[in-house]
Amino acid sequence: MTAVEAHCQRAPATRKTRFCFLLLWSAALAAFPVAANERPGPQWQVGLAEFALAAGRAEEALVRIGETRGDAASWVRAQALLATGQVEAAKRRLEQQLTADSHRGDAALILGQMATQSGDDRGAREYFNTASRLGFGNTRQRALYELSMLDMADGKPDAAGQVLAGMEPGYWAALGYANLAAHFSKQDLNASRPLVALRVALAMSEQDVVSDRSNSLRSQLLVRAAYLSFQQEDYDKAIGFLEQVPLDSYYTPRALYLHGLSLDARDNYRGAMQSWHRAKKYPLAYPGVEDSWLGMGRGYDLSGYLGQAGEAYLAASASYESERATLRELASRIREEGAWKALVNDARGTNAQWFLADSRTLAQPRLAYLMRFMESGEAQRKVNRVAELVRLDKILASREQSLTVFRRSLSDLSSVPVATAVDEQQRLNARLEQLKARALEMQQRMAGASSSGAELKAVASMLAGVGRGLGSLETRLEGRTPHLSGLERRIDAALSRLQSLRGRAQQLRISAEQQLNDEAIAFVSRQDERMVLALDKAEQRIAHLYEYLALESIERGAQ
Amino acid sequence: MVAHPLIAFVLMLTAPLIAAAELDTEIDRLKADVAELASDLYELEEAFLHPADTQVAVFLTLARSDALTLDSIELSVNDTPVASHFYSERELRSLQQGGVQQLFIGNVPVGEHRLKAVLTARTANDRYVRREVAHRFQKEPGEFRIQLSVDARAPEYEPQIGFAEWK
Repeated sequence: MTAVEAHCQRAPATRKTRFCFLLLWSAALAAFPVAANERPGPQWQVGLAEFALAAGRAEEALVRIGETRGDAASWVRAQALLATGQVEAAKRRLEQQLTADSHRGDAALILGQMATQSGDDRGAREYFNTASRLGFGNTRQRALYELSMLDMADGKPDAAGQVLAGMEPGYWAALGYANLAAHFSKQDLNASRPLVALRVALAMSEQDVVSDRSNSLRSQLLVRAAYLSFQQEDYDKAIGFLEQVPLDSYYTPRALYLHGLSLDARDNYRGAMQSWHRAKKYPLAYPGVEDSWLGMGRGYDLSGYLGQAGEAYLAASASYESERATLRELASRIREEGAWKALVNDARGTNAQWFLADSRTLAQPRLAYLMRFMESGEAQRKVNRVAELVRLDKILASREQSLTVFRRSLSDLSSVPVATAVDEQQRLNARLEQLKARALEMQQRMAGASSSGAELKAVASMLAGVGRGLGSLETRLEGRTPHLSGLERRIDAALSRLQSLRGRAQQLRISAEQQLNDEAIAFVSRQDERMVLALDKAEQRIAHLYEYLALESIERGAQ
Repeated sequence: MVAHPLIAFVLMLTAPLIAAAELDTEIDRLKADVAELASDLYELEEAFLHPADTQVAVFLTLARSDALTLDSIELSVNDTPVASHFYSERELRSLQQGGVQQLFIGNVPVGEHRLKAVLTARTANDRYVRREVAHRFQKEPGEFRIQLSVDARAPEYEPQIGFAEWK
């Protein structure tokens, strides 16, 4: 145990804390000699920055990378600048990266995406061409995909097809062919070209190494292919596609509805009703579910069970009314609490067990509405803005709290008189001399015993280190007061900057939340209109059925 | 939510609502200012919360990229837990590409100490392993760094954890 430790353990608690803190603080003022060849090299700093960036701490990555030079450092710096909103500085670094020895393709890809966002398609095409030429793996595939998207936007699907034909099978190729199919669907009356493109997309998606992403894309492609086949009245083909959609997919409700519709078209009402019955179990937020409720009535009607058909239409009508009440409640909560809390935060903050996560995701109405809402790119951007501001506010709040505590500790430290420390130093010096004498005595006594030699050497070295620390304590204590005052000023300035930044973050959050609220209210209103339309259809069917029954009854009476 | 409802209300009244594109620019500007402040605070903390004479920093690196998929690590100094970490896919990729994780930075007094690490990982031959290793070190005045280097060699892929000390 060192003299400092021993003293810290003997002293009363409050005094002990203050004095130990004082010694620690004093130690901080000491210059620490470190051999230059033992310090980690620049590669170490790059490694630390890379990990900080991967862990989502871009601010730390920037500090770690500092002024480190080299291609790898420059690449990490560019990414960290981009993540911390310093877009122009990041752009300059990325441009420089294009002439470096590494990450040239990655830099070109990011520059291309930035050009696309700013509407500079020509510039974007040049960057994507560079990225496809210099990049490898995912970077190259993504660049080729972006080039095919630019061709499609220019109305050149054949050129896009040629680019896609040169791609490796996988996610980006699958996505490219899916978009090509969508483009053909808009142009062609016949579904054969879109269907061929979708079949290629399905084959490409099988090679995607990220299984969740691949499964989701595959389900979406299967439903699209089934819809096109259904439109072409090729019901067997549609059923074939739909039966490959997994039951835990986001696209399952609409797949079940289309499956019912295809069976119905082949006069298999019983089979159709089985599919619609399963689709009915999902929240009405999903496309196809409200029509499945109506489908049940239609199925009973066509099978000749008119009474049950009436009941099914009434049940559909009641479920739409109930959904409208849910939507009204959701809209009023969005107005009161904001969409961030009512729609985004509360929907995901349920306490379901992890093994129920899949069924929970599909079965909970509010989560279903959140997922539907997030299908739109504009909604994603608006939610992202609020999420980013919430994250920044959390960082600032946590920093403010720790700085406030640190500031308080400094005030406490300033109140400890230097004289106390000087007295303690004298006592510690005396104790150190005693320990040194004992160590020397033991060394002399045990001369020749090699087993204890190393330990005694370590004790002597430790005592020498403590001696050096205590020796310079007086000089360091002299600089304590001005140093503490300087530190207090720095912390006060930082606290003031923090508060100003928090104010700005809160102001921006109000604007971002207002935009999100408007988008969410419009979305809920559209969902309500959808329910009104479904309700209207159900009522018409009921009226039609009653009219038919009344006519039947009159006819029977006349006979 | 904002820090105080009254502040929020006042801000709502005074703040003109900003258009989407301008909002993105403003958010970027705020992020840049937060990064600048974070950088200043980081230097302040490094210098004063972890003074060089008592500072100990522990780092983790992977010796080879394909031998292990780290799941988690727990670190104790003198039987007191000081750090624990679960790895995300992105963090793992970074370690595999030469990233360096600072697992712990803190203060210990001069003298002998015991560092213990418990790691769980999946090996390249698809075994899930949990290994405990301990390392004694002598803290002397001055900056002190310990590097944990994790390795696993074929055909057994038994995890090996090496310790290197720097002053």
